Amino acid sequence: MIEFNNVSLRYGDGPIILKDISFNIKKGSFHFLTGPSGAGKTSLLRLLLLSLKPTSGKMRMFNEDISNLDRDRLLQLRRHIGIVFQEFKLLDHLSTFENVALPLRVLGQNQDEYEENVTELLNWVGLEKNIHSLPNVLSGGEKQRVAIARAVISRPDILLADEPTGNVDPELSERLLHLFAELNRMGTTIIIATHELNLIKKFNYPQMQLNDGGIIIK
Amino acid sequence: MNILNFFQKDKNKPTNIVPVNSVTSRTLVLLIAIMTFLSCLTFGGLILVKQSATAWSNDISREITIQVRPIEGELMDANLRLAESIAQATNGIADAQALSIEESENLLKPWLGDDLNLTELNIPRLVVVKLAGATKDDLEKLKTELKVIKGASLDTHDAWRTQLNNMATTFIMSGSFIFILIVVATMLAVVFATRGTMASSREIVDVLHFIGASNKFVANEFQNRFLIMGLKGGLIGGIGAMLFFMALGLFSKFYLTSDSSEQLGVLFGTFSFSLFNIIAILSLIPIIAFLTAITSRFTVRRFLKQIAW
Repeated sequence: MIEFNNVSLRYGDGPIILKDISFNIKKGSFHFLTGPSGAGKTSLLRLLLLSLKPTSGKMRMFNEDISNLDRDRLLQLRRHIGIVFQEFKLLDHLSTFENVALPLRVLGQNQDEYEENVTELLNWVGLEKNIHSLPNVLSGGEKQRVAIARAVISRPDILLADEPTGNVDPELSERLLHLFAELNRMGTTIIIATHELNLIKKFNYPQMQLNDGGIIIK
Repeated sequence: MNILNFFQKDKNKPTNIVPVNSVTSRTLVLLIAIMTFLSCLTFGGLILVKQSATAWSNDISREITIQVRPIEGELMDANLRLAESIAQATNGIADAQALSIEESENLLKPWLGDDLNLTELNIPRLVVVKLAGATKDDLEKLKTELKVIKGASLDTHDAWRTQLNNMATTFIMSGSFIFILIVVATMLAVVFATRGTMASSREIVDVLHFIGASNKFVANEFQNRFLIMGLKGGLIGGIGAMLFFMALGLFSKFYLTSDSSEQLGVLFGTFSFSLFNIIAILSLIPIIAFLTAITSRFTVRRFLKQIAW
């Protein structure tokens, strides 16, 4: 599903962030992306989200050579990828319901079509009481669950998460990881960038470890 | 549909992805309102000038004037009667009437004041001749026959009509230029406002891109937002301009002296518009709203193209 061959990345004339990394990720797998701060975890996630172009090397996703695709095709492919940001990136003027429904609006669905699905998903992540709340009245954990719900509402093939447990307490972190595991069981390929060794040990999924620009999968 | 409900949020309608009510939006709505007001005023002014110029031109082309200058030893009243008779006997002339002393005084009052007494002034008198299909030859014949009256001359108003047409054309061209400048200034303001909104909404654009929204989708969202602002501003400005014209009409009717009002009426008509003209002026509202939306769309598309991969 995801194939990187000698992919390198640098921003402009800056230092090389990722250096000749190669890996394959199978459909339906679950990986933790680990490494020290500044190792390039977020940059790798942005490559996987197709919001950055590799400086060199080949990237294949969804059986397509990403390096040669035009912007419109990239945006189409991005609809198959869900992303959860560390800083949530919720739209402050939209309610919980509307934030979660956003990817479906982008796909051209109207409210009658998505209302039931969004409500059901919000129940599933335990936000049924906050359905009309704006993000500024939600706690960090609630915002994180809204961001997760938004990332999975369009049933993406790949779910990426950047430090999804960075802003929540350990108990909620574990609950969120169970949520990801549940999604993975439904067939979604999941890659989670995290620092939290406890969770990595507890859930025991394979790790993609970034260090000095390189990657080791273990 | 109740117009007041037009802009109210429909509870079942999703919230705009790009927020409509922000300080920038309110400022832009105000700016569009002012620009629409000025556009309608300019456009309305052009219509009034055009209407008046056409009316003047028609009036003038239906009338000619015989001027009888006072000459020592000549009897003015007798000469006026003779001029009337000669004119009435000419082909293509419907009527010829000498202006009385009072009518002549009324003509000069706006310039010389109410205390005017023509008997103290040695000024020419006029015979107004109404035409009914007189040809150039008829008028030449009249001109020749008038030579029997000392001090009489025929004024066909040609020079005046040419000057009037030139003046009206200059007014209309200047007004059109000002109108175009206002529209261009409005569009430039929309470009700057769109760029400002794009910069302040960068996070929204990023989120939309992260979830796979196409540039077309993002541009539509911004276009809809600016269309709403254009309609709001356009309605406020357009209705304001119509109220202004109504107020001006009432002011000229009730507060100006009758002479001033009459002169204004001669120059600009009666500040009244036909239904067609009102529709023409109010059509600027959707046009400005549409231009606002399209301008913002192009600005957004250009902005999005500059964003990297």
